[in-house]
Amino acid sequence: MFMQALGFGIITASILAIGAVGFTTQFGVTNILNLAYGDVMTASAFAAYVATSNGLNPWLGLVLGGIFGSIFSFALNRVVYTPFIRRGSKLFVMIIITIAVSLIVQNMMQVIWGPEFYSIHVDSGSTIHFLGMVFTTSQLIIVLIAGLALVALHSLLRFTRIGKAMRATASDAELARNCGIQTKRVIDLAWLMSGLLCGVAGVALVMELGSFQSTTGGAFLVPIIAAAVLGGVGQIYGAMLGGLIIGITTELAAVYINPEYKDVVAFVVLIVVLLIRPQGILSEVASQKEVAA
Amino acid sequence: MSMAWAFYISTVLVYLGVNMMACWGLNLQYGYTGILNFAYIIFLSAGAYTAAILTLGPSTDGSFQQYIFGLNLPFPIPIIAGGVVGALLSALVGTIALRRLRTDYQAMVFLVISLIATTVVTNDVGLFNGPAGLSVIPKPLDSVVNLSLIGYQWFYVGVTAVICLIIYVFVRRITGSPLGRSMRAVRDHEQAAAALGKNVAAIRMLSLVVGGFIAGVSGAVLVSFISAWSPGGWLYQETFVLFTAIIVGGTANNAGAALGAFLVPVLFLESTRFLPTFGPPGLIDALQWVAVGALALIFLWFWPRGVLPERRRIIKMPDSSTSAAMVETAGVDQSGGTE
Repeated sequence: MFMQALGFGIITASILAIGAVGFTTQFGVTNILNLAYGDVMTASAFAAYVATSNGLNPWLGLVLGGIFGSIFSFALNRVVYTPFIRRGSKLFVMIIITIAVSLIVQNMMQVIWGPEFYSIHVDSGSTIHFLGMVFTTSQLIIVLIAGLALVALHSLLRFTRIGKAMRATASDAELARNCGIQTKRVIDLAWLMSGLLCGVAGVALVMELGSFQSTTGGAFLVPIIAAAVLGGVGQIYGAMLGGLIIGITTELAAVYINPEYKDVVAFVVLIVVLLIRPQGILSEVASQKEVAA
Repeated sequence: MSMAWAFYISTVLVYLGVNMMACWGLNLQYGYTGILNFAYIIFLSAGAYTAAILTLGPSTDGSFQQYIFGLNLPFPIPIIAGGVVGALLSALVGTIALRRLRTDYQAMVFLVISLIATTVVTNDVGLFNGPAGLSVIPKPLDSVVNLSLIGYQWFYVGVTAVICLIIYVFVRRITGSPLGRSMRAVRDHEQAAAALGKNVAAIRMLSLVVGGFIAGVSGAVLVSFISAWSPGGWLYQETFVLFTAIIVGGTANNAGAALGAFLVPVLFLESTRFLPTFGPPGLIDALQWVAVGALALIFLWFWPRGVLPERRRIIKMPDSSTSAAMVETAGVDQSGGTE
């Protein structure tokens, strides 16, 4: 029982980790609490759904979902968020703006797709037993993708010039700009990368859930934020660790408490972390920052 | 005026009153003090449930709905109790959410509290009858005044108007007082307010609690009128409607909040009733939400200060006559430097 729940926890944690790392990358660099993130996930899932129902391989659909999410997030920033920041909207108002965008995106999907459930058919393959945990091949592929994506992101941030620029912008945008870093390009890249992970997480989520509708991604947003905040905003490893902790605790709670309260556990973890250690487990500072554009 | 119209118009007037009160409470928190309370609808709902269970008789095992208490109390005790519970719950939430956190983290905590409350009330059927919610809540003074259906409707419009007026005077007394000035100071420049000896935490908490009280009263007035209440009616998106109302009407302006309550939840959302229905069920609802989101964005872009902007408070320097005028920073945060 425990091992089985742990198995589920690892799958959920992988998807959460992809989502949380994407969320934290963007939030860390731009300081925009993008509450439309979950809805971009759903939109990417719909994009993958359209492609796969027209005969595309579901794993290519996952890649396509990632690309779609990337472009969508980039456009969202360029068309909505950046203009508002240029106009002088403060952090405060930006949160309201992202909620407005979230409502618009989510309900537009409902307008187009209705309240029905959809599913991306993926051949789950043979089952694999491991230490009392049961995985399907497709689930293992999701875990593998999560691992690969995070290693790739880590290498990018650690070993490339643009990665260095991104870390610099995340820690102090103003100073980075004064040092000649083109923060505008860095921010564009942050949205592109965040969107890519967001799209991949969205498609992986609906593959794992089996079915989805227009509100699926939005409902998954709070555990993602919980994982990101738990790890410390902008901290890639923190987000991974946060995803692991939230994923496993929620699945254990589903088994031992009540499946309905699964999300409440994530919520409570988030609140407790915010109260005890708002800077997250792997971060040192979380001072008041202004939005960067 | 036909019966149906009289019934409809009186209902809309009660909605207007309820929304006006709700907007004043939220405006006190958001407009004046700068608290992003995304859980606002929870306090409204808490007031509504309180009024409902205090008005209803005891819940028996055989009855079709389960709830706690059931005290059969007369008007206006349930309404006042609704406000008190809204205030108490605000104090509780405030101790968690108003800690020294970044503004965006605070907003996050409020949002999450809103989601937790919905989940708990929906799943804990013994509390307030779960997802089905409570119904057949007796209307206040119905047996006392003994009026026709339409007569009672207009009677309740009067009750709502009186409560609205009391709340309005109460809010005006706060916002026009030195306390209101301190609230704006906390909103515009927390450190400066603290440096001048203002207890920032206490002012924030007070604003949250008073706003919570008003929310509770407005929820209680609503539930006593429609005699039913369920979790589906207070999802966190509903808070966003009230935020939109304040943004449209004018932040930190009580007349603006009242105007917003008329323009957004009443005029904008009610008018769709008169459109011909089309498409599958749920389509119009979804389009409405798209429209509300778009409305907020449009106003924040073109008129970030709303239809009735916050009054600019200009203080003349005592020595010179014309050139040196000191402008308090009030409202500049939202104006975005467009002036």
